[in-house]
Amino acid sequence: MSADASDLSLVRRVQRGDKGAFDALVLKYQHKLVKLVMRYVRNPAEAEDIAQEAFIKAYRALPQFRGDSAFYTWLYRIAINTAKNAVVSRDRSPVEYDLDRNNNDESYDMQGRMKDSETPEGLVLTDEIRSTVNAAIDALPEDLRTAIVLRELEGLSYEEIAAAMDCPVGTVRSRIFRAREAIDRRLREVFEGGLGRAEELG
Amino acid sequence: MNEELDSQLSAMFDDELLPAECELLARRLSRDEYLKARWGRYAIIGAVIRAERGVRLNAPLAGRVNAVLLAEPALAAQTAPRDRNHPRLRWWQPLAGAAVAASVATVSILWLRTQAPLAGAPLVTQVTTPGHTTSATAAASAQSDSYTVPRSKPAAVVVPSTELANYVVAHSMFSNPVARRNLLSAFMTSESPPGGTQEPQSDVKAIAQ
Repeated sequence: MSADASDLSLVRRVQRGDKGAFDALVLKYQHKLVKLVMRYVRNPAEAEDIAQEAFIKAYRALPQFRGDSAFYTWLYRIAINTAKNAVVSRDRSPVEYDLDRNNNDESYDMQGRMKDSETPEGLVLTDEIRSTVNAAIDALPEDLRTAIVLRELEGLSYEEIAAAMDCPVGTVRSRIFRAREAIDRRLREVFEGGLGRAEELG
Repeated sequence: MNEELDSQLSAMFDDELLPAECELLARRLSRDEYLKARWGRYAIIGAVIRAERGVRLNAPLAGRVNAVLLAEPALAAQTAPRDRNHPRLRWWQPLAGAAVAASVATVSILWLRTQAPLAGAPLVTQVTTPGHTTSATAAASAQSDSYTVPRSKPAAVVVPSTELANYVVAHSMFSNPVARRNLLSAFMTSESPPGGTQEPQSDVKAIAQ
């Protein structure tokens, strides 16, 4: 199994003019990229803007991507540079004093979350997605839960998980797939049903 | 939807699918909105498990990026030919480069040969005084009035005439021994072939060494 083969196959498609393949790359890495950028800027909306800019820069630079490094390593480097530049240019611009920030950091964080594009409904939906997924994970059989958590949380390969769980690699693949299927089934209902579905499902 | 396909999608998301299968599935993923939506939810599941706090899980980031990229030109024009042919081109590119270099060198050599005499060929130019024109210079003058200076001009040795040589011998006691020897040796080597007659009319011969 070659590492990064999946990303590389999508990258090659983008390089051949298939923009739809770039959608898949954005969907896969958007949360990780926003999380990474939030080390530089605290505001989630600003972090999303920077991540968006990083994705667009990456798209434009893809003709130069040779695949010498993993795609996500290359993408993260672009995102970090974009975030650093954004911080520098923001620091050069006039400072907006926020009196609440000094008095109550939690209050500032909440304001940051609410800034710009974020709406109360959006925050609720994020929380609902989170609670739905967590509830679905808790409901999984032990072997499925262990497999998906080792994969997503610890970042282990299938081979490493197979060694840890003392089972064949094919079984690991099947367990992770079934875990995802079970979680996705409930998550899909949240997206299709809108707000409040998690409570009904719970 | 096909369960095997979904299983492959899950493995591809984890980079655990064979490259050949990845190629096929990537093509389908880029076009199939159902698969793309599922793919996106797999990413959300991972974000929740990693407890990525502060990240909006329903952020329309992909849609925003997509909207911007709609106005962008496709990358195919820039990369497709290189990408398609890259592995096959690689082995003969050095050979092609060498062939081009050899062609340029050959053309240069042929061109130089038409422009200048061959190196090593005797260059003999006769410079005559007015009224004493040799047959060679007469022919050259008939062809062209212009005179082209050779690219690599050889060092010329001035050979004195017989009268001058006699003068030098007669006054050798007053001349520098080294200069005298050089002058005499030059005079000796400039002698005409055995039996030949040196044209007395020629005042000076320039001989390419």
